[in-house]
Order: sequence, then structure tokens, then C-alpha cells
Amino acid sequence: MHLFISGVIVAPMVVDRREEILPKYWYNIIPDLPKPLPPPRDPPDAEFSRIDLLRKIMPKEVLRQQFTVERFVKIPEEVRNGYLNIGRPTPLLRAKRLEEKLGTPAKIYFKFEGATPTGSHKINTAMPQAYFAKNEGVEHVVTETGAGQWGTAVALSASMFSMKSTVFMVKVSYEQKPQRRTIMQLYGGEVYASPTKLTEFGRKILDENPSHPGSLGIAMSEAIEYALNNDYRYLVGSVLDVAILHQSVIGQESLAQFEEYGEDPDILIGCVGGGSNFGGFAFPFLGSKIGKKFIAVGSYEIPKFSQGNYIYDFPDSAGLLPLVKMVTLGKDYVPPPIYAGGLRYHGAAPSLSLLLKERIVEWREYSEPEIFEAAKIFAEAQGIVPAPESAHAIKAVIDEALKAKKEGEKKVIAFNLSGHGLLDLPNYELMMKRLSK
Amino acid sequence: MKMLVSYMTLGYPEEEQYLEFVERSVKEGSDILEIGVPPKYAKYDGPVIRKSYKTVSGKIKDIWSLLKETRERVRIPIVILTYLEDWVPTLNDFLAKLYSIGIDGLLFPDLLIDYIDDYEEYVKKIKDAGLKAVIFTAPSVPDPLIQKTSTISDLFLYYGVRPTTGVPIPVSVDSLITRVRILVSNKLVVGFGLSDTEDMRKAMRAGADGIAIGTAYIEAIEKGGVDEAIKLVKQYREILNEF
Ligand SMILES: Cc1ncc(COP(=O)(O)O)c(C=O)c1O
Repeated sequence: MHLFISGVIVAPMVVDRREEILPKYWYNIIPDLPKPLPPPRDPPDAEFSRIDLLRKIMPKEVLRQQFTVERFVKIPEEVRNGYLNIGRPTPLLRAKRLEEKLGTPAKIYFKFEGATPTGSHKINTAMPQAYFAKNEGVEHVVTETGAGQWGTAVALSASMFSMKSTVFMVKVSYEQKPQRRTIMQLYGGEVYASPTKLTEFGRKILDENPSHPGSLGIAMSEAIEYALNNDYRYLVGSVLDVAILHQSVIGQESLAQFEEYGEDPDILIGCVGGGSNFGGFAFPFLGSKIGKKFIAVGSYEIPKFSQGNYIYDFPDSAGLLPLVKMVTLGKDYVPPPIYAGGLRYHGAAPSLSLLLKERIVEWREYSEPEIFEAAKIFAEAQGIVPAPESAHAIKAVIDEALKAKKEGEKKVIAFNLSGHGLLDLPNYELMMKRLSK
Repeated sequence: MKMLVSYMTLGYPEEEQYLEFVERSVKEGSDILEIGVPPKYAKYDGPVIRKSYKTVSGKIKDIWSLLKETRERVRIPIVILTYLEDWVPTLNDFLAKLYSIGIDGLLFPDLLIDYIDDYEEYVKKIKDAGLKAVIFTAPSVPDPLIQKTSTISDLFLYYGVRPTTGVPIPVSVDSLITRVRILVSNKLVVGFGLSDTEDMRKAMRAGADGIAIGTAYIEAIEKGGVDEAIKLVKQYREILNEF
């Protein structure tokens, strides 16, 4: 049978290639770790159990997945359809012009998570979490956002499953990033500048300082309180292992795409805020024993890898979530105002922290001038403006490619381009003014 | 026969009721007693057990005489649950003392978590002192380590299916057990926040050799005293006898 479409005879598509590459399972690294993952715990003399609190604010299935130890977790059909709907699989592209520009014998590939409608990988876990909430009869989800990437992903995910969403956006970002706010509102999200008067916590802060600029910790506390009081559900953006589980869709797709290229990457690179895009991209390779070197890249200005301790700490600065063992600068650490907002975080996910500790994953830290230059080189070569977060990964890629050049080695380097930077243009403009000579 | 491992916090809620529970629970079918000695920081216990530690702390006159009394009242194996962290500096004394009063074994929930690099050395110390070393594992313990520890654990291998005791985090009990059953060449006792009878049956069907119960008893005592907790012992025994 042939279809006749506007004068052209086309053969009917038998299988959608996209559906073949889109994985049926998420990959969970917990059973493949070299040592037991230290469990979450409540602080000594806690007045309430934070582990119990999770039970009240997270969708049940999300919580189950947070603690699952199955190596592969089935992706529900509705979520797979959701992934197709937002354009997954995202492309795995070769950065040929960048290779030429660097004169390296290495091949460079990148997974382009900026190709999702919300512009970053965050939607990969927002969407399944929203789906699981909806499945449990929840009509309204809540979260906080700093720079806005996560809030955007939650707002879209909620609408995809006909739910309402409320996003507590850190007040300074709310004022400085009106475009992010607009996108969330276009998706139907309610966006509030935190601290708000909607919660007891917010009111307390405002009483003390009516022009408080807000912080991620405050926004998170407000989101959790708001979810608790209204029996809504809270969605979690990174750090907890369930976010990495969902993000493994990135690496699972990449494995299939590399198979099509007939290539095995030697070096895998990603940037780290909480660790979700890095883990999502790299862990499936680790689990398949493909790749020789894994590099997690952080910011020099937020030196958690070089100066953090591997200890039990709160994932949130408000101290509402259970303690987890991770590489951390301490929950009260105040990150300096770098433009890569997504990397302004004090810790790294427990599974990633353990792999860093065991030296299975290496780390790098780069400063803002370094990553600005890397972003510029990449944009000139490939045309894509990377998110400032992703530019950290690019800097490590460039260094590895130049090392391969020096050593005359034909390495295959792969990195996760976690998001595009088209909504970070004001930041780039400031960086250009400050850093271009 | 499937094993019922019954946990109670030493001296909870009062010494007399504690001893009553211990004795009656053995009569009603507990096979092994697990006695919790309150630690400084019960980092891997849930809110209910933590509260029970608080209730007894300061109330127990002398843990050693109460342990001795426990030993004298029952014949079945007694395993002490406490945190290695508290005993590291005086471990040899502690082990010798437990042995001298006739305690059978010891379980440290923090052994594979906080002492992972030296756990074999500690297991050897426990065994050298004449005590049985019961090893506590959890779903987050990687397959090779479950396999290895199962062969050196005495009495049984303890497998806690929830991230913490007494918080009903949703888990798929059967698939968690199915995964480790093939790795474990020992008796496999499943615990940590079990109270749902359907979960217990699932655990048995998936190949567990027994269950360990604690939080449910403590909640029952809180609600209706020792009688209420003993009702549960009977009920659990009956469920295990179905298999
Ligand atoms: C584009 C982008 N990349 C990376 C990150 C860092 O987060 P994670 O380490 O969880 O991937 C963020 C977080 O906001 C982000 O927006």
C-alpha cells in the first residue's frame, strides 16, 4: 500500500525509528555500585521524621522508585508517549567543526538535551513524576525553582497531564528572568516570587525583611509547606536518586545511538549541579561497561569536588529532607552568584558522590572565564549557544580533545549538552562585557 | 519451619512489661529474640524505634542485669542489636561481657554502611569472642557483597527491605526478595518496617526463611499494652505456619 500525499508517492513508515531508540527501561545504578549506598537518615534528636515527610509529599510511585534497587525500571507507556511528544529521542550529534577547530584526532559527540521544548534535560524527570502524581489522583503539583529551568519543566509536565502547577520562584530570579516566568505562565503554571505570603514560612521571612531577595532553600520550604497544607504533591528536580533514574533516558538513548554510529565512546563528560544530567547520561554507560573515563564537571566558584567533604548532609538548605551521604560544602554554604545558576548547589547526588569517592568518576572544576571561552568556541563552531551549565562540560571536552591531540590518540569523547542558552542571553551579554578583551 | 524473629527494645516500655513481652512472645512462637540496646544515635532506625529508645533512656537501671535477666527467662537464641559506633573503643570488653552472660549473637546495623572497609575484621572479632555475628544487609547492598556476607553471617542473613524501620515507604517486597534469594546461601530473614500481613506472605512466597518484626510490636504496646503485642506474635506465627 502506498499513500498519496500532495503529489508525492511515499512508502508508509513501518517502524518509527524514534520509538526504537527510545528506551523501554530506565537504568538504576544502585545494584551496580562498588559499595552499598549509604541510606538516607533522620538527624539525631529529630523532632519529626524527614523520611516520613517524604511519604506525605512525594507521589507514591516516585518514592518507591527512589528506593528501588531493580537494575531496570519499566517506563510506563504513557511516559514513553510523553517522551515522544516532547521530541525524544534527542539527537546525538558529532561536533565535527569543533574537532576541526581544535585540530584534534579525537571524535567528539554530544547528546543535545537542549532540543526538548523546555530547553534542558529537566523535563525527563518532571514528566514521569507528574504522570505518577496524576495516576494517584493528584490534581496539583508544586515545586520551587531557582534559575527557572526546573520550574519550566514542571509547569509543562503538569499541563501535559491536565494538572495545575504552582512554582515558587526565588524572588531575584523572578525579577531578573521574566522570560522564564512567562514560559511557565504560558504552560499554565502559577508562579510566585518567593518568599510569599502563601506560607507560614514565607510570612515569617517577610515579617523580618519585607524585601528579602529569597533563596532556593526558602523557595523549597515554601513549596513543601504548600504541598503539605493542600495535599498537593511536591516534585523533586535533582540530587535524589529517583531524578537520576529518570534522567537515564539520556544515556539509554545514547547507547542505542552510539550503536548506530558503530562507535564506543572512551570518555564521557557532563556538568554537575545536583548530578542528574551527568548521572542520567553517564551511568548507563558505566552499567554497560562502555567507556574508560568518566568526568564530572563542576564550577571553580562552587568548589564542592575539591573542597567538599563526603558526609551526611541535608540535600536542601532548609533541612526538610532526610540526610543523605554526599560530597558537600555544607547545607549552609552560600554559593557566589555565577551565571550557571544550575550549578549553584552545595552537594552532589549520593550515587555520584560514592562513585567520585571510589575514583570511578573523575572531576574537574572550571572558572567562569574559562567556561565562557569554551561556550564561545562551541557556539562559533556548532552554532548552538550552550547553557552556561553545559559550557562547563564543553570546557572539559576541549581539554580532553587537546590532550588527545598532544598524545596523538584517536579518542572518542562524548558529552551531555544539558541545555541551550537562549534564555541565558542576558547573562552571556554580561559575561561578554566583563570577560571579552 | 519459617522463623519468627521478634525485636524488642531493652526495657520497653518498663522493665516488667518488657520481660513479660519477652517471655510470652517466646511461648507464642518467636524463634529468635532480637534485643535493642539504645544507641547514642539510632541513625538507621525509624521514628517508632527511635521513640522507644527515648522512652527507656535513663530508665534502665543497669543494662547488664536486665540482659542477664532476659537470658534467664528464655531459652531461644538472643541477638543484641546495637550500633558498632558506640562500642568501637571498648569492643573486646563488650563482646566478652555479652558472652559471659550467655547472649548468643550480635547485629550491628551500621557495620556494612559505616565500617564497610573493615567489616570482615569486626565479624572475626565477634566470632572470636564466641558470639554469633548476624549481618544486616539492605537492598542498597550490591549483589557481590550480599553473596559474600550471606556465607559468613551466623544464624541467618538479615535483609531489611525498607530504607528505614517503621516508615511505610512503598516497596515491592517480593521483587526485592526475589533478587537476593538466589544470591543468599543461608537462611534469609526479612525485616524493617514489615507489619502488613500481605507483605509477609509475599516475602514467604518469594523465598524468605523468616521475618523480623519490631516496630509493629512497639506500636501495639503503645496502643494496648503487652497483650496487644502478643496478639500480633500469635497472628504472625499463624501466617508463617501457612508455609
Ligand atoms: C541546563 C542545565 N544543566 C545542568 C544543570 C545542573 O543540574 P543537574 O546536575 O541535576 O543536571 C541544570 C540545573 O538547573 C541546568 O538547568
